[in-house]
Amino acid sequence: MTDIAITVNGELRKASVPSETTLLQLLRDNFQLTGAKLGCDVGDCGACTVIVDGAAVNACLMLAVQAEGRDIITIEGLANRQVFHPLQQAFEESGALQCGFCGPGVILSAKALLDENPDPDVYEIRDALAGNLCRCTGYTKMIEAVQNAARILRGEPEISSRMISR
Amino acid sequence: MRPFQVYVAKDSEHAVSLLCEHAPRAVILAGGTDLLVDLKHGSKPWDVIVDISRAEDLNAITLTGEGLAIGARVTHTDIMRSPVIRESAPALIDAAHSIGAVQTRNLGTIGGNLMTCVPSMDSGPALLALDAGVTIRGPEGLRRLPLAELFVGPRKTSLAPTEILVDIVIPKHNLGKPLVFLKFGLRKGQALALVNVAAGCRLNGGKVWEPTIALGAVAPTVIRAQAAEAYLAGRAPSEQNLSETGRIAAQEAKPISDFRASADYRRDLIAVLVARALRQACAGTEIEQAEMIA
Repeated sequence: MTDIAITVNGELRKASVPSETTLLQLLRDNFQLTGAKLGCDVGDCGACTVIVDGAAVNACLMLAVQAEGRDIITIEGLANRQVFHPLQQAFEESGALQCGFCGPGVILSAKALLDENPDPDVYEIRDALAGNLCRCTGYTKMIEAVQNAARILRGEPEISSRMISR
Repeated sequence: MRPFQVYVAKDSEHAVSLLCEHAPRAVILAGGTDLLVDLKHGSKPWDVIVDISRAEDLNAITLTGEGLAIGARVTHTDIMRSPVIRESAPALIDAAHSIGAVQTRNLGTIGGNLMTCVPSMDSGPALLALDAGVTIRGPEGLRRLPLAELFVGPRKTSLAPTEILVDIVIPKHNLGKPLVFLKFGLRKGQALALVNVAAGCRLNGGKVWEPTIALGAVAPTVIRAQAAEAYLAGRAPSEQNLSETGRIAAQEAKPISDFRASADYRRDLIAVLVARALRQACAGTEIEQAEMIA
């Protein structure tokens, strides 16, 4: 067993786990943070995406011991009981998720992008989401939602798809 | 995953001493994007993992008297963001960008890409076309070998179980050499190359000088297309000569047919991509010369 201490969503969390535990297993099984999903488990689908020290990574491809001392953000760290994160708000308003299984990963990939690049173009957004497979939406509304969230975060008025359709 | 022990190496020397203690049942973990898949689904008997993802001496990108040294655990994202690589070997940035997706590029390392040694690796062709060398650390210390001698076959390198890759060095005289990397996959993201090509040259008095052509995914390892290089050297970069160079490169390769593409299709791709890369590289060369005259 290995003792691990990591910061998750701003809070120091500790666990003692076998060496072969992935970061994804640590988050889901030990910390009950089930927002990051177990999809393909080989780094193809992106459903397990979390942010480690500012970078989006596949939690299924990182051993928990490799996360020791690092700063992790999961989907549970974005909203509080009062308000959504602008990305979550924009995804809801655009109807950018259907079944939603890919959603936590997609939103965290988008967050990692916007944290570094507050005004990405469509190609940069597509590149940032290329590692998150979504079989429902076709991505169009996701890209629209990321653009809207970027506008909200920059303090500009958002362009709502509801407003466009009216 | 079956149980294993993890040791965190503080630097490459520490990693080698851990390997000496536990070889051949020990394996190096860098970015983990290939190794974790192997640990979950492979049949290798490793029970010791030597984690170099925190090793202090393996993550620098440095210009030295010899050339450009890239540490083995530099990630694909690090490469894409490196101003010195953008300046001196931009084809490496295109190659890094073509790998996997953001999440795997944030974890995966250039050393891991070379050491996993799959024929379709995207880091290999550009480095091979730039005559890169690799520094290896073993129990006796450091040694240097040409990158081509690292590659033995699919998933097989020439390193002993007690040795690790320290860095990759692009020789000084090839920094800034016009080189173009092109990859043909079935999608843009999360796709392995059907064929990838790095080709470059300089122009001297309207003639091609020092052409280098490297091919990936079309032989047991990444290879140089030496007959094609020899054909093009000293000739004008005309459409006809570039097409013929591509045709010769396609003959030199030994592609296989698999569920992604047939060998014939891969040969056609080689001919097209080699000519296209050389055309772009020659255009870059002319622009640079025009700028120098201005």
